[in-house]
Amino acid sequence: MTRPDAAGKLRGAVTFGTDLERPGMLWGALVPSPAAAGRLRAVDLGPARRTPGVVAAIGAEELRQLLPSALGRERPLFPVEEVAYRGQPVAAVAASTRAAARAAARAARVTIEERRPVADVEDRYPEWPGPGAASDPGVIAHVRAGHGNVASAFARATLVHSETYRTSGVCQVALEPHACVAEVSDGVWRVTSSTQTPFGVRDDTAEILGLPAETIVVDGTWVGGGFGGKGAAFLEPYALALARASGRPVELALSYREEFRLGRSTLAAVIRLDTAVIDRTIVGRRVRLLLDTGSSLPGRDFATGYSIGFLVGPYRCGAVEVEGFGVRTNKPPFGPHRAPFAPQCVFALESHLDGLARRLGVDPLEFRLAHVWREGDETFLGQKVGPFGGERALRAAAERARAWRPSVAEGHGLGAALGFWSTGTGAGGEVRLRLDGRALRLEQVEREIGSGSVIAGLTAVAARATGLPARLVRLVASDTATAPVDSGVFGSRTVAALGRAIVQANEKLLATLARRAGGGPVRLEEGADGIDVVGPAGRRPVAELLTPEERDGGGLVAEGRHYGNAPPIDPSRVEDGTFYPYTDFTASVDLAEVEVDPETGSVRVVRAAAFQDVGAVISEPLVRAQVEGGFVMGLGEALTEETLWSPDATLLNPSLLDYRIPTLLDVPPLEITLLEGAPGAGPFGAKGVGEPPILAVPAAVANAVADATGRRVRDLPLTPERVSRALIRP
Amino acid sequence: MPLTLERPDGVDAAIAALLSAPDAVPIAGGTDLLLDLEAGRVRSEHLVSLAGLPWARVERTGEGWSIGSTAPLRRVERSEGLAADHPGFVEAVRSVGSAALRHRATLGGNLGRASPASDLLPILLALDADVTLVGPAGPRRAKLDELLRGSRDLALGRGELIEGVALPPRAPSAYAWQRVRPANDISQVGVAIARPPGADRWAVALGGVLPRPCRVPAAEEALTAPTPSEEEVRRAARIASTAARFASDRRATAEYRRRLVDVLLRRALARASGGARP
Amino acid sequence: MSADPGPLEVNGRPVERASIPDDERLLDTLRWRLGLKGTKEGCRSGDCGACTVLLAGETVLSCLALTRDLPALPVTTIEGIEEDPVAIAVREAFTAEAALQCGYCTPGFVVATVGLLKELGPDVGVDRLREELAGNLCRCTGYAAIDRAIRRLARGGP
Ligand SMILES: Cc1cc2nc3c(=O)[nH]c(=O)nc-3n(C[C@H](O)[C@H](O)[C@H](O)COP(=O)(O)OP(=O)(O)OC[C@H]3O[C@@H](n4cnc5c(N)ncnc54)[C@H](O)[C@@H]3O)c2cc1C
Ligand code: FES
Ligand code: FES
Repeated sequence: MTRPDAAGKLRGAVTFGTDLERPGMLWGALVPSPAAAGRLRAVDLGPARRTPGVVAAIGAEELRQLLPSALGRERPLFPVEEVAYRGQPVAAVAASTRAAARAAARAARVTIEERRPVADVEDRYPEWPGPGAASDPGVIAHVRAGHGNVASAFARATLVHSETYRTSGVCQVALEPHACVAEVSDGVWRVTSSTQTPFGVRDDTAEILGLPAETIVVDGTWVGGGFGGKGAAFLEPYALALARASGRPVELALSYREEFRLGRSTLAAVIRLDTAVIDRTIVGRRVRLLLDTGSSLPGRDFATGYSIGFLVGPYRCGAVEVEGFGVRTNKPPFGPHRAPFAPQCVFALESHLDGLARRLGVDPLEFRLAHVWREGDETFLGQKVGPFGGERALRAAAERARAWRPSVAEGHGLGAALGFWSTGTGAGGEVRLRLDGRALRLEQVEREIGSGSVIAGLTAVAARATGLPARLVRLVASDTATAPVDSGVFGSRTVAALGRAIVQANEKLLATLARRAGGGPVRLEEGADGIDVVGPAGRRPVAELLTPEERDGGGLVAEGRHYGNAPPIDPSRVEDGTFYPYTDFTASVDLAEVEVDPETGSVRVVRAAAFQDVGAVISEPLVRAQVEGGFVMGLGEALTEETLWSPDATLLNPSLLDYRIPTLLDVPPLEITLLEGAPGAGPFGAKGVGEPPILAVPAAVANAVADATGRRVRDLPLTPERVSRALIRP
Repeated sequence: MPLTLERPDGVDAAIAALLSAPDAVPIAGGTDLLLDLEAGRVRSEHLVSLAGLPWARVERTGEGWSIGSTAPLRRVERSEGLAADHPGFVEAVRSVGSAALRHRATLGGNLGRASPASDLLPILLALDADVTLVGPAGPRRAKLDELLRGSRDLALGRGELIEGVALPPRAPSAYAWQRVRPANDISQVGVAIARPPGADRWAVALGGVLPRPCRVPAAEEALTAPTPSEEEVRRAARIASTAARFASDRRATAEYRRRLVDVLLRRALARASGGARP
Repeated sequence: MSADPGPLEVNGRPVERASIPDDERLLDTLRWRLGLKGTKEGCRSGDCGACTVLLAGETVLSCLALTRDLPALPVTTIEGIEEDPVAIAVREAFTAEAALQCGYCTPGFVVATVGLLKELGPDVGVDRLREELAGNLCRCTGYAAIDRAIRRLARGGP
């Protein structure tokens, strides 16, 4: 398959957020808080204003005059009293060049009465939080749920396996830094941004600036990678405020250092797992989670209640009790990241199960097969499990492992793991189809972030739904003022959710055409001269069936929508906090062979195999590309990627040199198996595959290291030093 | 104040330019200096470009090899015959950054910055390299070991420039390093060994130690045989791993660095002396 | 500002350097002065390769070079290799293997591959070429497709 965007991208000819330019444009820069915690005493923008080239400088003080609605109590654009993390923007400047803007931002004098920051969840809770901790001011989310008699399960157990895991923060690292350009005129606040969620940015920006959503127009552009980092409003409100203050268009782009320092991403966690077993059967599980949620606001945490289910996993485990705390620290807010925090949970659980199986003397894959969900099982929250490819994927991996085992060299090890994911098809969206005599236009708001889900995925669904060749389907992306509403390119939902909307719009289109053509059912076909409608009454060109208004207006329009509904959670099992239902049930299994250097602790993955539950394949090349990319991102989380923080909450490695994503040399050959047959919520039974391929990689690698060395590393990532420490552990 | 860049077209003019402003600093490839300036680690408003100086040559001389300070590292690593004569040195050069970086980054810049994590200083120390310098008082020659005062601290006079480095004709050598990520990363520890002609023992030098890369004479004493025995290698490795001051920082703990020195020294010796790997 | 260093040749066209500030990086000159935005800014610190251009045919990182410090050698960007036969082969291989997703690393990868194939010759082995490209980061593809494209391009043994 030739990607439709290949020619442009191979010539550097597509416009990313960082490439945006407007006549008369200024450059923006953010003034960072020099402290991680404390009371904001003064922001002196005088020196910034005196920097040559500066046109506008705004802090909370200036906003009070200019745009008081942007100083709302909950989410003021600039902090009014307390700073929450180092680097938090406390003011912004706009100048004629980027260098001038940066110089001015540096010149601003920010005075803070510093307080000792909380840098780590274990600073706050060196011991497990006691009863009543849920109402601590340092806890922004508390979840607790369960069912069955856990105490009795553990009392009856013949073996209890208890472990503590620690995971590090990781960043999305889209290669393109965040960037947008803002313009304000005639009461319209317009921002063009490389975003995964134009409507999300609109609504979020409206809330932050305190403006009606209709006055804000968001347009997308080519996105240089997202991975969750380019959803919600981030730079846009600042850029708009600067455009308003300066009366000129303003481009705001982060340096890569800022990208790391301000990044909303996955933060560290401490995970305690206890599993009760009778003979070889799991009868109980206790999960305890302390998740660093940074400076996320209370009520805005999604991670704690969503991720904790991945610590129970896609298994029957008898009586279950889970409790999680979202703990406030002086870091940027926790943010979405390709399957946010799930690979870390899968690492802990699948390492735990692997070790448990070995203690029981059972083959780890057989042990999982004995417990893995079958369709119709119940989750610990009482949701009915839909079609799930876990068993199928595990069997395929077990077979491959048997084939590989004889050739696994001395000093090498083999490990596997199962990850589970629910795609974000619950998030709704709409599309518009517009059919004229020559082409089918697919009108929607989203832009391509790289996966191909928009430019190739949506058009593939439209082609398959309508039966037209893909070349007659034109993808049209427009801004939030003109396009149908949608929730964004994230959560592996795009093809699945918008795909369903396309299928529905197509049905409406055909129904209208059937009526006009004298009865149905009808279908579309490429004819001798454009598109024809073919039905019981014969073949007629579409053009003949259009009204004069439709002919002038660009064609016959039909809109489709998809708002997913998930099987419900049993509310009686929830004691506290917000949990989220799963919309579909996607499995991903990885198998990895590693070589461990016994003296340095270096781990090299020498070959790997991925078994991906896909429901139904819509475009095989696109799915395989997601598996390849996700696998390697998982490899980074397994071996090298972590944010390092000092005790005073300073990020120590804000660069692509010190935050180590995999290079071309770190990547092993990967065999990919796509498993159909367990249909999902998407069109034609497809499941989202943007996120699942990353899930099980760290766990598979860790299990392979344990296989090679007999030692278990319970901290992620498995850097050479951590592995080496485990090797010399007495 | 904005930066100014002088582009002198000869050595004398360059020295004069360096003397003309108290904060003047030379810029070669700029791959370190531009980042140091941006981060405020170096403060200067007067850059003096070395691009016009005739020091970009890599050549075999009567005495051995002469590597000009402004020769891009890529030119160094691709110099005909150098890898055969100095395998450890070329291994070290190839370990620096990426190909695109090495097309601009120079040997003089690596020495000039004198980073404790440099991959080139250990092997040059092990080869007992001479550094040739030119300053207001004329040329001079010094041992690298004497010039290297501390972390990012080279004993250069005001207005003095590194002209190049002189290496012996050939010497068995090896450079072994450890990184979290093999490519595109900074070494946690580097161990260089070499046996220059006429030397009665293997020279051992460490990188990634504080305050600066250093020789380990105590370990060298155990390594007099051209192919040291297993026991000798073990002893040297043990000594080396306790001789230096190891830093604990974001790249590694002192404890781990100590262990790595032990491992890497044994591996480097196995490679260079053709001996068994203990 | 110091004396005029004379024009720089970019994609075959002379670019006057008289009015360019001494501290301007080549990356900014290309993107914002000459409008050659195919060269991308990633890290701006030498770590990602997105800004790779050719200087006298050799790969260099345009984020770490001062425009006025460069010798008067030709600079070639992604826009300047439209007709180059090696670049055509590289683009064909990348297209055939779909060796790109978001496309942000892509110009850097194409320019670096072209530069290295020319520098090291067509007989450079796959392993060597892969090693030499390790300074170019890609976050989307997991390199698998890029690796397949490289295999099409590098003849000869390792
Ligand atoms: C992405 C990246 C990766 C890197 N990886 C490595 C690595 O793996 N291993 C490693 O060792 N290094 C690494 N480095 C550092 C690298 O060694 C240096 O970048 C390079 O060698 C410096 O050369 P330069 O010509 O660019 O120096 P410049 O940046 O031009 O100069 C560096 C310093 O030396 C001074 N100087 C330069 N030339 C002279 C001279 N002739 N006389 C006196 N003083 C002089 C300058 O004033 C300045 O203070 C890396 C750097 C980057 C950006
Ligand atoms: S932008 Fe130059 S190397 Fe990253
Ligand atoms: S394709 Fe997105 S970074 Fe390479």
